Amino acid sequence: PAGGASLRLCSTRVTLEGINKPVIDRIIRVDHAGEYGANRIYAGQMAILGRSSVGPIIQQMWNQEKDHLKKFNELMVAYRVRPTVLLPFWNVAGFVLGAGSALLGKKGAMACTVAVEESISDHYNSQIRTLMEEDPEKYKELLQIIKQFRDDEREHHDIGLEHDAEAAPAYSVLKTAIQLGCKAAIFLSERI
Amino acid sequence: VKCQLYPPQRALQASAVLRRVSDEQKKEPLASSSQQQFDSHPTDHQPEKEPQGPRPSYTGQGGQESEDYESEEQLQHRILTAALEFVPEHGWTAEAIAEGAKALGLSVAAAGMFHSDGSELILHFVSQCNTKLSELLEQEQKLVQLGKAEKKPTDQFLRDAVEARLRMLIPYIEKWPQAVSILLLPHNIPSSLNLLTSMIDDIWQYAGDQSTDFNWYTRRAVLTGIYNTTELVMMQDSSPDFEETWRFLENRVADAMNMGNTANQVQSTGEAVVQGLMGAAVTVSN
Repeated sequence: PAGGASLRLCSTRVTLEGINKPVIDRIIRVDHAGEYGANRIYAGQMAILGRSSVGPIIQQMWNQEKDHLKKFNELMVAYRVRPTVLLPFWNVAGFVLGAGSALLGKKGAMACTVAVEESISDHYNSQIRTLMEEDPEKYKELLQIIKQFRDDEREHHDIGLEHDAEAAPAYSVLKTAIQLGCKAAIFLSERI
Repeated sequence: VKCQLYPPQRALQASAVLRRVSDEQKKEPLASSSQQQFDSHPTDHQPEKEPQGPRPSYTGQGGQESEDYESEEQLQHRILTAALEFVPEHGWTAEAIAEGAKALGLSVAAAGMFHSDGSELILHFVSQCNTKLSELLEQEQKLVQLGKAEKKPTDQFLRDAVEARLRMLIPYIEKWPQAVSILLLPHNIPSSLNLLTSMIDDIWQYAGDQSTDFNWYTRRAVLTGIYNTTELVMMQDSSPDFEETWRFLENRVADAMNMGNTANQVQSTGEAVVQGLMGAAVTVSN
């Protein structure tokens, strides 16, 4: 019920009049799925590399992703968006990806981070373009949030590069494969 | 939720027939309308007659439109609403629609605008009931926000919402099995499913559901099951004021709540077991 919402919006339910519901629905659903997946990826990486030298850095990036997820949880309730059915699947797949890349070593984990964060920033950029084309004024709040998150993900990408992601075993193959997976995940989560 | 009405394929013919065969004066045919491909004659020829619903504001369109101009869709809504009165007698049929049109002072042939199996009438009714339910829940929520009413516990809320919605069927309960079977026809399934899911989503929304994980689906699936089974029970219930149905509903909602609790218990037991095993592993390795 409305009341006691911790959002910056004035009520738990934003006014749903006049917004392009299908477009906003998709955006929030896929972003929520993305942040959820990112969370699980970092969780998987921490499970393997938590006690290594890159542990604190991964933890820091993970904390930021947790904040992102919290924000999208709020937006999901406010805009009455349905979450993707595939959440349980992303739960497992994300963890496996994170743990799997971490088993390749610290550089492997960083390579995974670089690949995923690059996909996510491109994806956020195209969403920003879409919203700007629709109506920058109407979606000002949402645009602000996505821009901020895009900048955060960009930062993670750069941190990954700083920590020798490119020196990881089979870096280009790994990166391509992961980014292909991200594209598929985005496609599916937008629709189902 | 707007009920999807079938496009007016026979509209051109039908609209010509809509004119009442009597000495009422006819207004000028309207020059332009983006919604229609034919001339529409306003049927509301009595200026004092109140419109059934909000009229679109077609201001500034050459000043030719009369004040009582209504769109085809609004006309259809009016006919269908009027037709509901005749459903207990005629069932969900074209006859009921024809009677409804007659009651509004239109030609009986207006029923030709609609499908012959009464689909639109049923969908219109369901859509209307859902809207009424939303309004009811909205009002209740306002009362709680203003502090004038207590916030109900979830099971009570769900019970009351489903009961309120099902009670709207009571005047038509004799003919409701017919309606359900028509709604299950393949060409109606998209619309009826849409109406059902949005109603269930509405109820959970007002019940305060804020889940953003798979629970979102579980809760809606469970409530849909409760609603559908209770509806079936209601159609066969002959007890006074359907008290058997409400008791059935109460039991099903209680089951659902227990299911939730049991799931939580299983999860916490599982977590405890895992922790125990981890502890054992650490002990053994030391």
